[in-house]
Amino acid sequence: MWDGMLSGMLTGISTTMIPMNIAMVLFGCFMGSLIGMLPGLGPITAVALMIPVTYGLDPSTGMVLLAGVYYGAIFGGSTSSILINAPGEAATVATALDGYPLARQGYPGKALAVAAYASFSGGTISVIMLMVFAPMLASVATSFQSADYFALMILGLTAVSAFAGRGGVLKALLMVVLGLMLATVGTDQTSGVQRFTFGSLELLDGIEFLLLAMATFALTEALSIILKRDESSDSLNPKMIGFKSLKVTKEEFKQIAPTIGRSSLLGFIIGVLPGAGATLGSFMAYGMERNLASPEEQKKFGKGSLRGLAAPEAGNNAASSGSFVPLLCLGIPGSGTTAVMLGALIAYGIEPGPRMLTASPEVFWGLIMSMYLGNIFLLILNLPLIPYFARLLAIPRNFMVPMILFFSLMGVYLITFNDFDILMMVIFCIAAMALRLMNFPMAPLLLGFILGGLMEDNLRRALMIYDESLSFMWERPLTLGINLTTLFILFFPMLRSFLSSRKGGGKPKDEEVVV
Amino acid sequence: MLLFSMAYGLLALRVPLSFMDQGEFFTPRTMPYALAILGLILSLMILLLPTTDPEGKRTLKEETHGMDWKKAILLVVGMIIYGLVMKWLGFIISSIVFLLCGFYILGERRVKRMLLAAIPLVIFLWFIMSALLGVYIAPGELFYTLGIL
Repeated sequence: MWDGMLSGMLTGISTTMIPMNIAMVLFGCFMGSLIGMLPGLGPITAVALMIPVTYGLDPSTGMVLLAGVYYGAIFGGSTSSILINAPGEAATVATALDGYPLARQGYPGKALAVAAYASFSGGTISVIMLMVFAPMLASVATSFQSADYFALMILGLTAVSAFAGRGGVLKALLMVVLGLMLATVGTDQTSGVQRFTFGSLELLDGIEFLLLAMATFALTEALSIILKRDESSDSLNPKMIGFKSLKVTKEEFKQIAPTIGRSSLLGFIIGVLPGAGATLGSFMAYGMERNLASPEEQKKFGKGSLRGLAAPEAGNNAASSGSFVPLLCLGIPGSGTTAVMLGALIAYGIEPGPRMLTASPEVFWGLIMSMYLGNIFLLILNLPLIPYFARLLAIPRNFMVPMILFFSLMGVYLITFNDFDILMMVIFCIAAMALRLMNFPMAPLLLGFILGGLMEDNLRRALMIYDESLSFMWERPLTLGINLTTLFILFFPMLRSFLSSRKGGGKPKDEEVVV
Repeated sequence: MLLFSMAYGLLALRVPLSFMDQGEFFTPRTMPYALAILGLILSLMILLLPTTDPEGKRTLKEETHGMDWKKAILLVVGMIIYGLVMKWLGFIISSIVFLLCGFYILGERRVKRMLLAAIPLVIFLWFIMSALLGVYIAPGELFYTLGIL
């Protein structure tokens, strides 16, 4: 195993150390930081916006760039959380809890530096774990059959819905179904029959995944800024722009080092679980650190605690790397961002899954090794540049929003050169906006859409192997185990809610899943 | 979503089946049928089951209270018009006009700043695509109609 890993690492290093790929990691981190910093725009939008740039590039170069964007966007989101208390996405909400108070106390530089060191350490530790565990899981996964894949996809989609948070499990599940429905549009790959195309030539190949990602995330997030009269982009305190001191003392380093270690480990484990992702990673790391802290230290949480800032930062970066494990090993994305990356991989003509390790080792290992490089670049490039990047937050939304809309529309148009796509994007954007207003989460929709075709193929194959019987769902112990896990994930929140309401004799608590 | 699932299910009935598919267990209609039923069940559950949210189910009016609809609708209309005129005006002109309109809708009135933000951005993007990446971006059909090109 170690020989294989060593040769894989060498393959990865030789792929990453190509000047073009180094430049792309650098460019990805830079662009990710810039986009992620804009309030309202998270890593999904950042990755979706950068996909058009990767078309025409070598697949390994494209993935290296997207991984850099992903890391950069999470780091950028932390910057806006700390400086203006406007998290770009849910994963950086926990960062704002202690980061923003610290910045308001006059230490914006220190807060950003702690966030950067914690992100770097969390990212690096989890990449080491990814390097060890991903090939192991991939080698196990080669024995998986269609039935197992189908069950795994159901598990992934259920887990994403269970952890979707906003709006409740049922709404998230309905979004998965909607995503699967949209995936059936176009020509059926097996029979060649047209489904839901309404005779339109443009729909023969189905809906472009980038179009859907841009419409449901980039366009709607930009319009949300306008709809909700979000003035955060105008609210950067000028005093916070000109900071120079990013110094963190030795004592402070000693204080946060164990926190970073613990949070990274927890973040990685959570990230590996399908559906959990960076949001849960950051909140659980924050919660764990608060519970472990002394009563005196606990009082500082929420008021600018360094441990309270380092924990979610290390946790969310570690979870982001962890979420690559199911993507690279099983071809099943664990989060919205990795779902977009899966879409990109399929567009490059690479079949994600356990065979990727042998069929496209340069992409597999290149991606992992580029993560090391991305972490280093984020630290040495972004740390001194943070004060300058922060000026981006002072750009008025009058200019920012139309530009985001323009880049989103162009991202799709400049690939297809079809003005019908622009109109289709607007239609999807209106529908997504309406669904968002009713608290329907969008990430499960995208995940359902991307996995739809694969799910149908695997279901068809499993049914053929098992003589058109649904017994494939329980005949193999592995499939049965996966399905039982799915049922547990699905019904556990409901069971907990039921038990808690019986125990309390009244309404369940706020944080319980809303049906 | 309930209506959408119903419509989807009805349209699934119209998915044509090839001769080979007639006797098969799994046809191009199977997945859409299953999805339509799942969609119906989930939509009904959302509608009928009580919420565990202590504040109860919020109405759409409550959710959208105080939102700036006018600007958002104008931007959406702008995007639709942008999509419609792109073919006629071409990439450069339609993009510049779209950006200028967007800035104006959001309350920007400093013409010089608007022009300085829109024109270099579009020209830069066009230059990267056509000169550096060698991607051909067709000029607007209007130029051909007017005999300019």
